[in-house]
Amino acid sequence: MEILRVAKNAWGQEVLVGVSWDLLWWFVGASLVFIVVHAILTPILKRSGKDRS
Amino acid sequence: MAASVLVLVGTGFLPVIGIKFPWVVPHWIAGLILILVALFHIAWAVRWQKLKQMGVGPRDIGDLLATFCAVSGRSDAPPPKPGKYLLAQRLYHHAIAVTVLATCVTGGLMMVKQDTPIWKRDPYWLSDGNWGIIYVVHGLAAIAVLSLILIHIYFALRPEKLFYTRSMIKGWITRREFEAHHDRDRWNADKSAS
Repeated sequence: MEILRVAKNAWGQEVLVGVSWDLLWWFVGASLVFIVVHAILTPILKRSGKDRS
Repeated sequence: MAASVLVLVGTGFLPVIGIKFPWVVPHWIAGLILILVALFHIAWAVRWQKLKQMGVGPRDIGDLLATFCAVSGRSDAPPPKPGKYLLAQRLYHHAIAVTVLATCVTGGLMMVKQDTPIWKRDPYWLSDGNWGIIYVVHGLAAIAVLSLILIHIYFALRPEKLFYTRSMIKGWITRREFEAHHDRDRWNADKSAS
C-alpha cells in the first residue's frame, strides 16, 4: 500500500502530489471497527457492572 | 460550521471515489466559509466561553479510572460526573480542532493557486516540493476529519447521548439531565450560560 502519491514535473523530477487515497479506506475502516467494537462492548460492560453490583 | 465541513467532505471525496463533477468552486467557497466560521468560533470561545472547561488534566485520569471501575463492577461507587463536557467530548473537540485547522491553513494556502473574484492564481508562489507537503497535510487531515465525522455521527445517534445531540441543536439540556449527568460543583450552570 502506498502512503504518498508522486508524479513527475515538467523537468522529469518526482514531486509529491498528495497523500494516497488508499489511506481513505483504511481510516474509514478503522472508524467503523471502532464503532462496532464500542457498540458491542458498551452493553457487555454495563451488564457485567450491574451483575457484579 | 457543520454544513461547510459536510460540503467540503462531499466535494473533496466524492470525486476520489469516482463521482465526477465540477467540485473545485463549491469546495473553495465552502472552505472560505469554514475559515471565517472557525475564526469567529475561536474569537467567541476566547472572549465569552470558559476555556478551562475544555481543558484536560491529571484529574481526568483519576475520573477515567473511577469510571472504568464503576462500569466494570470493580467498585460500588458511582462513576464521577463531569463538568460541562465529558473527557471524550473534550478530546474529540481537540482532535477535530487540530485536523480542521490543518485543513483550513493548508486549504487557505492552496487558494493562492485558485482564480477568485478577488485575486488571480499564482501557481509558482511555492516550490513543487513545498506544495507537495501542503497537499499531503491537507489530504491526511481531511481523511482524519472524515473518520472523526463518522465517529461523531455514531455517538450523536446513540440513545443515551441523544440529549447531547439535542443540546447541540437547541443549546440547552433539562435540569433533570443536568442533575443526572453533570457535577454541579464542576459546572455552575445556574450562574453562567457558558
